[in-house]
Amino acid sequence: MQKMWKKGSTEGSDRFEYLQTLVTEFQDTDSEEAKEQVLANLANFAYDPKNMEYLRDLQVADLFLDMLTEENANLVEFGMGGLCNLSMDPECRHLILQSSGISLVTNCLSSQREETVLSAITTLMNLTTPSSRSEITDPAILQCMLRFSLSESPRLRNLAAVFLQDCCSKEQVARAEQQMQGQQTAVGIPLPKD
Amino acid sequence: MAAPANNNSGCWGIPDVYKHHEQRKICISRPKYRDGRKAKAVKVYTINLESSYLMVQGVPAIGVMPELIQLCALYGVVEEYKPLDEYPAEEFTEVYLVKFQRLTSARAAKRHMDEKSFYGGVLHVCYVPEYETVEDTRLKLQDRRRYIIRAVQNKAREREQKEAVNEEPTSSIRATTSETVINRHDKTSDNDNTAIVSHYSGFPLLPLPPQEYHYYRHTNQHGTIPTEDKMGTLHNAIIDTKRHQAHNSSSSQTSSDRDRGTEQRLTSNQSSAAVRFVPRTTQLENRKRRMEEAVEQSLTDVTMNNEPLIGPKLPEPPKLDMEDVSLNTTVNLIRNTMKQVESVPDLKPVAKKMKPRRRI
Repeated sequence: MQKMWKKGSTEGSDRFEYLQTLVTEFQDTDSEEAKEQVLANLANFAYDPKNMEYLRDLQVADLFLDMLTEENANLVEFGMGGLCNLSMDPECRHLILQSSGISLVTNCLSSQREETVLSAITTLMNLTTPSSRSEITDPAILQCMLRFSLSESPRLRNLAAVFLQDCCSKEQVARAEQQMQGQQTAVGIPLPKD
Repeated sequence: MAAPANNNSGCWGIPDVYKHHEQRKICISRPKYRDGRKAKAVKVYTINLESSYLMVQGVPAIGVMPELIQLCALYGVVEEYKPLDEYPAEEFTEVYLVKFQRLTSARAAKRHMDEKSFYGGVLHVCYVPEYETVEDTRLKLQDRRRYIIRAVQNKAREREQKEAVNEEPTSSIRATTSETVINRHDKTSDNDNTAIVSHYSGFPLLPLPPQEYHYYRHTNQHGTIPTEDKMGTLHNAIIDTKRHQAHNSSSSQTSSDRDRGTEQRLTSNQSSAAVRFVPRTTQLENRKRRMEEAVEQSLTDVTMNNEPLIGPKLPEPPKLDMEDVSLNTTVNLIRNTMKQVESVPDLKPVAKKMKPRRRI
């Protein structure tokens, strides 16, 4: 506390240095455990809007995106969580879109972990802009959401419902439903009665 | 799934047990520089994990539901609550579902109630977003996005102001530092209050435990940007800071009491509209307790601020006459010493807080 009182004006640069230390440790360490911890740290820092600017400068969005193709499921989950937090900020959203984040995030929709999938759905919603909408409302993604909306898990069901209601048009959903029906009778997934 | 029973309200149906209800193992292998004050698991928090619905486990099964809800109400308006009888609980304990009106309240309640003892049991409090409706989820996400945008804009504005300050440093430096001092003083009571007080301001809160984010607290130089409170609407937080300062700086007890009175009326109106299931007796008890706490707090406020007391004083202890000059002198000496000793602990904590701590 005392430190902050004294250096009130340099608090921002303190924080920046701290975050930079985290990024450096993440890049330098060979320990998988340390990597996971630091990544979780950074992802949680991304929850606080006060850190957005520093995380942007440190290109943490790209760091998170890199994690989505890792084999370690923890790294994928934490990276996806970090993106879910970062993408709330319009400027970070822009950075993620520039680094072709949509396709990387979309791949996470098939993750085995619910938390990863939930982060991916929220991130896709956050990434929706007039120019990115067509990519995000790709029929494949809509079909995925339609399947999630029938899920046993209420969180998944709700989030997919919000996506389908808020991010795309009724016509798009109807078209995706039709396409899916063909597939589903083939695969044998039962549809709900109503 | 029992379709007819679940039809009316998906969220109050039969509960399922989810993995995220469990407490994860804490992490013990962090290096010093990124080891917080509190033992925590390696976990990433996102808005998806948070919710205005909380599940409270480990409540002793001794009929303390009203007390539990009163405790919850310290952190914000409770919209609905119910015991989850079907949820697997440890022997002699109960599980409750509590829905707060606002996510920030739920966050504060979780932070302060989790792992705290309660009537001989230890509570485990967790978010249960699976009880949300689609609409709840939508609103939660919208609120979060709005909050982030506003917070980022505010920060940009703050930076601009800072740059302006740097251009003409002589005039503004003094103001800034004095404000910082006031804010420091506020902070000792814990800046997390901002979230809580802003929408449940009927009474001053109990002092809260120190926070783990301590290090990266915001120094709130301009007095208008909310502190560590991570979500929660900004305009509330602004009002709150002002009120907070007003509280500290107001010299007369009566005016702050009047404030409190109006606030209390406001909240009771608000809660009668929003709280559906709280029985009348509970509300009365709540109000009584709040009043008591308000009085208690205002008394401590006065001593803390070291202001002159207004109102009748306690009668002076009768002076003993020992019928001997020497003995009387001794008695006086002892009495004065006792007075000095008594008055010391009142002053000490204030002095201590103001004194900068040395870092080792």
